[in-house]
Amino acid sequence: MFIKLTGGTVYDPASGVDGQQQDIYIQDGRIVKKPTEDVKVDKEYDLKGKVVMSGAIDMHTHIGGGKGNIARTLLPEDHRNDPVHRSDITRSGCGHAMPSSFVTGYRYAEMGYTAGFEPAVLPINARQAHMEMADIPILDKGGYVMMGSDDYLLRMLTAKKDQKAINDYVAWTMHAAKAIGVKVVNPGGISAFKFNQRKLDLDEQNAHYGVTPRDILRVLATAVKEIGVTHPLHVHGCNLGVPGNMQTTLDTIQGIGGLPMHLTHIQFHSYGTEGDFKFSSGVAEIAEAINRNKNITIDVGQILFGQTVTASGDSMRQHANHKHGSPNKWVTMDIECDAGCGVVPFKYKDKNFVNALQWAIGLETFLLVDDPWRIFLTTDHPNGAPFTSYPHLIRLLMDRSFRNEVLSTIHPEAQKMTTLASIEREYTLQEIAIMTRAGAAKLIGLKDRGGLSAGNWADITIYTDNNDRQKMFEKPDYVFKDGQLVVVNGKVVSTKWGTTHVVRPDFDPSVEKGLKDYFDRFLTMKLGNFKMSDDEITEDGRGSITVHPLNGDVA
Amino acid sequence: MSALTFTLKHRTAQRVDMSPLVCHLLKELKVADIAALTLQSGKHKLRVDELFTIEGSDAQNIVIKNSVDNLDFIGKELDGGCISVSGDAGAYLGFGMKAGELKVSGNAGLYAACEMKKGYLEIAGNTGDFLGAALPGNKMGMKGGTVLVKGNAGERVGDHMRRGNILIEGNAGDYCGSRMTAGTIAVMGQTGRYLGYAMHRGTLLLWTQPQLSASFNDCGAHTLAFLPILFASFKSLNSRFADVSSAFNRVQRYAGDMSETGHGEVLVRIA
Ligand SMILES: [Zn+2]
Repeated sequence: MFIKLTGGTVYDPASGVDGQQQDIYIQDGRIVKKPTEDVKVDKEYDLKGKVVMSGAIDMHTHIGGGKGNIARTLLPEDHRNDPVHRSDITRSGCGHAMPSSFVTGYRYAEMGYTAGFEPAVLPINARQAHMEMADIPILDKGGYVMMGSDDYLLRMLTAKKDQKAINDYVAWTMHAAKAIGVKVVNPGGISAFKFNQRKLDLDEQNAHYGVTPRDILRVLATAVKEIGVTHPLHVHGCNLGVPGNMQTTLDTIQGIGGLPMHLTHIQFHSYGTEGDFKFSSGVAEIAEAINRNKNITIDVGQILFGQTVTASGDSMRQHANHKHGSPNKWVTMDIECDAGCGVVPFKYKDKNFVNALQWAIGLETFLLVDDPWRIFLTTDHPNGAPFTSYPHLIRLLMDRSFRNEVLSTIHPEAQKMTTLASIEREYTLQEIAIMTRAGAAKLIGLKDRGGLSAGNWADITIYTDNNDRQKMFEKPDYVFKDGQLVVVNGKVVSTKWGTTHVVRPDFDPSVEKGLKDYFDRFLTMKLGNFKMSDDEITEDGRGSITVHPLNGDVA
Repeated sequence: MSALTFTLKHRTAQRVDMSPLVCHLLKELKVADIAALTLQSGKHKLRVDELFTIEGSDAQNIVIKNSVDNLDFIGKELDGGCISVSGDAGAYLGFGMKAGELKVSGNAGLYAACEMKKGYLEIAGNTGDFLGAALPGNKMGMKGGTVLVKGNAGERVGDHMRRGNILIEGNAGDYCGSRMTAGTIAVMGQTGRYLGYAMHRGTLLLWTQPQLSASFNDCGAHTLAFLPILFASFKSLNSRFADVSSAFNRVQRYAGDMSETGHGEVLVRIA
């Protein structure tokens, strides 16, 4: 099958193409060069006047893993109120804030997304996370394995094991959990919660292990860099949601000492303590620190008003947040002594001062961080809002008058506390394409996604240009996944299965000796069962694994 | 105008969702239009006249004859008017009912009066579990109105109930009044285990001594002036609750559930 996409206006930041008219050729699922001889075009799409981008990549979205199922169990009303019927080609499902796996895939594809990355894969639950993502159609997926409050690592730090030993353990865990990155959530804090600590600052010791979050971040960021993983250590910092946590965030940036680090949902970590309500925006300083420190990347975790559910590994902070739960029900739990989980439903209200200012803080972050290659468009689905709100968010970024219109309706005290009205910046289509495509692929280390040059897989989204950016981005004309037409006019027309992206850093096999003893003595699972095999993803014939190069590999 | 009467022709293998056949949805429709409405039954949609013979035309006054226990959602969100059911009703009888009157001559299934808001629901026979409760996962059960059950009720009567009266002439199963926030449940017969489990507030009015959990405290014998007023409000009911000889004002009072806020009360008649 040879497909030609003719005359579209192409935004492909990966090859520096910014709104030029270009033809794109697709053969066997990949983008190919313009054929030199006469090759018969099987199917041609006239894209004159249309906007062409590669398929969007959500680099931080909670789409697999146990907390999603806990959220589903906790919120049957989320499912009763949003049923989705089956069709001849799609399966039934339900859910607004935490949709079922099939509906997740369809809704992402219908917005032009072709990949999503689960940022909190617990090693011991990795199998479940991958099995669940295996049921998400169309999308490619991958996971960041969650470390930093695991007993084994904390014991190693207490015992002052050398960096090499830690590198081996991190690399081994990435293999075992089939990960493409490493995430740390409230470093050491999830563990500290179990020793009755209710907060843990960057330089505060975990009462049991005597290590600080700063130690954990450094050692993990070093490990990720030294074992050659492209995606920098993915950090959900200390003190999420706490007024005044901007200082923690600034200290975290400074404390990592130039190592690559990704700070996730930074909106929740950019709060000051000024004003009558002792809650203010810290974005000016945070954005300045990000602009200055080129080793730092961020995603925003924008909140948008409405009902959603927050699902996080940060049981310490979720336990504190449960007071704000709406409806009033919540879960906080330990996971096998290695991690935690907290699920609290939230209804963000524009007339609530704190929520309104959170909204403004997120947008300030987008607009004050200069480099679109180092900032990513997320709502931390579903924590800030369900992913289906992305088109609305894009409009807020691209359309200043719309933004100010919404701003004028939020809590009046929050309006006074934000500089948003004075910020003139409007995102361009190219900047949106960087944040949601080329930049995301580069950040995660996907070698042949997120771009439209020859050799890339043909994940392509085509929109009709529309000044109402929300309308434009919520209903693409066409979406191709690996060269297959999967969406027409914002509706799924065919389905397929995406691949699972991983990296495989080297480690010294002798690392398993200590681990085996540890598993036998302390864990509910044997070492051999803990490690996932490739077959578990591929043997059903739908899933596949794509291994990406490490830094320093010859591509 | 005579009552709009639906007479069931035959029992279907699958359950039937009866929610379209309520007064407020039918009042503007001609009989021919009503006949052409469809009801979901398992995977199939059935025309109303496939299932029922239809007589009469007064949609404010609906009668369902030959009713059986797989007709679910009878009187869903009923907003005024009367529905009378001869025979049994399925699950979710009077679900979210807002106003009007709903009477069943036989038994009703699970979740009768679920999240009911106002109006009057009468079940002449027995009813299943979760009478007047909230849907699974929801935090608010029945919010108002009166339910009368002449037979027995199943487990979890009034789970998450917020307001209104549930009157049971027969027995109630285990966990009666569980997680209640407010409202009144009166039971003339026996109650089961875990009475008032995790109730915050509200009143359980009992004719016979229950088996109480350790988390209920005995507050002694009381003469309560509000009880005669409460009984007076039942006078118009076609029920033993309206009988003067049923009334009393002397009770043993227990407070609980102490594992919750403990503002609930169990009042037991002192004969
Ligand atoms: Zn997240």
